[in-house]
Amino acid sequence: MWGVFSSDLLKIKRKLILFLIVLGPLGVIGLEAVNFGLRYDYLTKIYASDLWSGLLNNVQQLSVVVMLLGVAIITSLMATIEHQTNAWKQVLALPISRTEVYTAKFLFNGLLLFASCILLAFGSVILGIVLGFGTDIPYTGLLKITVFPFLAALPFLAVQIWLAVTFKNQSIALTFGIVYALFSSYTRNAPDWLPLKWPLMMNSFSVITGVVTGLIVLTITLVDFAKRDVN
Amino acid sequence: MLHVLSSEFYKLRKSKISLLIFVSPIFAALFGFFETDSSKIVHGSQWMYKYMVMAAGHGLLFLPLLTGIFSAFICRYEHADGGWKQLLALPVSRSQVYIAKLISVMMLLALTQVLVLVSLLVIGWIKGVPGDFPWAFVLRSLFNGWLASAPLAALQLAVSVSWASFAAPLAVNVIFVIPNILVINSKYAPFYPWAQPVLSMFGNEKEAFGGAINISLFSLIVVVIGSFVAFFAAGLIYFQRKSM
Repeated sequence: MWGVFSSDLLKIKRKLILFLIVLGPLGVIGLEAVNFGLRYDYLTKIYASDLWSGLLNNVQQLSVVVMLLGVAIITSLMATIEHQTNAWKQVLALPISRTEVYTAKFLFNGLLLFASCILLAFGSVILGIVLGFGTDIPYTGLLKITVFPFLAALPFLAVQIWLAVTFKNQSIALTFGIVYALFSSYTRNAPDWLPLKWPLMMNSFSVITGVVTGLIVLTITLVDFAKRDVN
Repeated sequence: MLHVLSSEFYKLRKSKISLLIFVSPIFAALFGFFETDSSKIVHGSQWMYKYMVMAAGHGLLFLPLLTGIFSAFICRYEHADGGWKQLLALPVSRSQVYIAKLISVMMLLALTQVLVLVSLLVIGWIKGVPGDFPWAFVLRSLFNGWLASAPLAALQLAVSVSWASFAAPLAVNVIFVIPNILVINSKYAPFYPWAQPVLSMFGNEKEAFGGAINISLFSLIVVVIGSFVAFFAAGLIYFQRKSM
């Protein structure tokens, strides 16, 4: 397992992926910096009672869409490495089980996204301090806007990995991923059972159902991957 | 030139791209269908309000992102299994191939715009929207949105021919389109090429909706045509010199 993991790490060295993992949170923070910088007086008046949660709300509104788009793009870029060089045959010919290969892919992509979310948390803190909102940082709120959406988005990570690995034609995985990512921002008033709403909900329900559904989807796709003919 | 175009058409005919042109119109239809407040009126017309509801998401995010998806799709056959070598070994010039690809992307975007119109008409009919349909306004807006997406398509085609991966050009696309969400409400919107499709789909200063979204014809021409020429020239020059 660890071997697959470190081989994945080697594969993304000097690739676009790591750049995107950093650019995602950096871009969100950068846009919010411009947003607050340009409309400082107006926004600080609106959020006068709680400047930090005002900032975190603004960050979150942008970051969930960016994260879901990131899931689609990163998983596709990862799968393309094998597709482009027809390397699936070689990877699966190694003396490791398919379950290990696939689980390692899932964990690796998950870790990259998690790193991205942690960067977002650090970025939000730095932005808040630079904007002069004081050092009374709401750590719970920070955790909620960064880690909660990530855990609630695990089903989407599992689905995207399966789509990207199974279909060599990446337009399927990417179109699907991009379309629902964009649609997610309109699901605030949708019923709770809609998985697309979970990354926006940021409560214990969304985290638990997200993780459980994620594991179920992972198991189903894992079984499918183990049976699939690879060429 | 016509032969190159028809070869593009053959390649697309049986592919899944026909499904992609329906994606955004279907979402527009969903927004139109679930928007229940039928009493709202824009410029004395409930049709105008329906158009605004349905075209907002399309112009802001879907249309700009579709320029990237279509461009990447149209280069997929050539990137897979040495298709570029075969295509360019034919007695056609590289600029012809490049222009044919751009025309194909623009035709797919035009089809999408037509389908948005169809979906507006169908949803309006289902919902029983009263009054005359504002043909002049809607047709002009959809056409303007299509023209404004040309520079985006030019850039995406340039990126798509240079990268074999499908996801990499889309990453570039997303990087430029996501700021739209914030740019659109700022005074910098008229200068940002990726915001032009949505701006031009909501009329010009005289017909602006509620003063929230304005567009200056001058900056539209400068930004749209300026960026189109820059992206198109850069892409074409790069493509002509690229070793395949």
